Amino acid sequence: MAVNAFSDEWAVRFKDEVNKSSVYKAAAKGWKWTVGLVIEAEPDKNVPESVGVVMDLFDGEARDIHVGPASEAQSCQFVITAPYTRWKQVATKELDATKGMLQGKLKLKGDLPTIVRYTKASQELTECTTRVPVQWPDER
Amino acid sequence: MHDAGPGPMARRKVKTSKPVTYADAEPSAFASMLGGLIEANVESRPERKKDFDSLAARVGIWVTDIDEGVTLVFERGALLVHNGLEPKRDITIRAEADTVMNLSNLKIGLFGMPVYYDEVGRGVAWKLLQGKMRIEGLVGNLATLNTVTRIFSVAS
Repeated sequence: MAVNAFSDEWAVRFKDEVNKSSVYKAAAKGWKWTVGLVIEAEPDKNVPESVGVVMDLFDGEARDIHVGPASEAQSCQFVITAPYTRWKQVATKELDATKGMLQGKLKLKGDLPTIVRYTKASQELTECTTRVPVQWPDER
Repeated sequence: MHDAGPGPMARRKVKTSKPVTYADAEPSAFASMLGGLIEANVESRPERKKDFDSLAARVGIWVTDIDEGVTLVFERGALLVHNGLEPKRDITIRAEADTVMNLSNLKIGLFGMPVYYDEVGRGVAWKLLQGKMRIEGLVGNLATLNTVTRIFSVAS
């Protein structure tokens, strides 16, 4: 059953998908930093306020993923920021996250060598988001 | 009256201790990312710094699936990053975004040679064999390519 994108239910399903992924488990071995995703508001798309997704990822496991204020996501060690429409493109595989970062469509903050070392893990995290059926706010 | 405006000052070359600088007033996202990656790598790893300080070369990188590229001008301890491909390049690497990122994940083995026999290395070599990664100017510049690969490499 589809859940609302970037809702508490979505965060639970996303976390389950991450923890089910053997690819992520192997690729993220040694990862020990928090990751924040900032979904910037687009009022005309039914996203009136920016939202944060806070991920406590440790050694191939998602210990916690929750939705909160954008400011909480911004305080994570790695932060990826983009408007809502871009995130929707990533989650629907219209936009590859790696290409998006190289093009500046997704803005990354954090230690670059570390994130590059874990490219495969971040690609699999993106894959996990695509496995959660969602209802998008602009399609409601 | 003396004009204290910023005009001529803005064009003056300022000596800076930063190892990586940008030729364009607005570096592209790719230029910033690659420059940032090299800067962090060089500053945190003495063996990369040694390579960085010895390298003088003009290296182009073109990402084929986003139609963007950079030219990296290494000048023994300094790097100037240009948006796009500039003339007189010694080496030009053309590959998809994923492959460019994987170049940074190549491990460095014995005698400072990139490792092409592990999973990442085989993936890069396969792209080369398939023609999905092309390296122009390789003849005569193999040592330069290996040095650039080491400077890029974030693999431990």
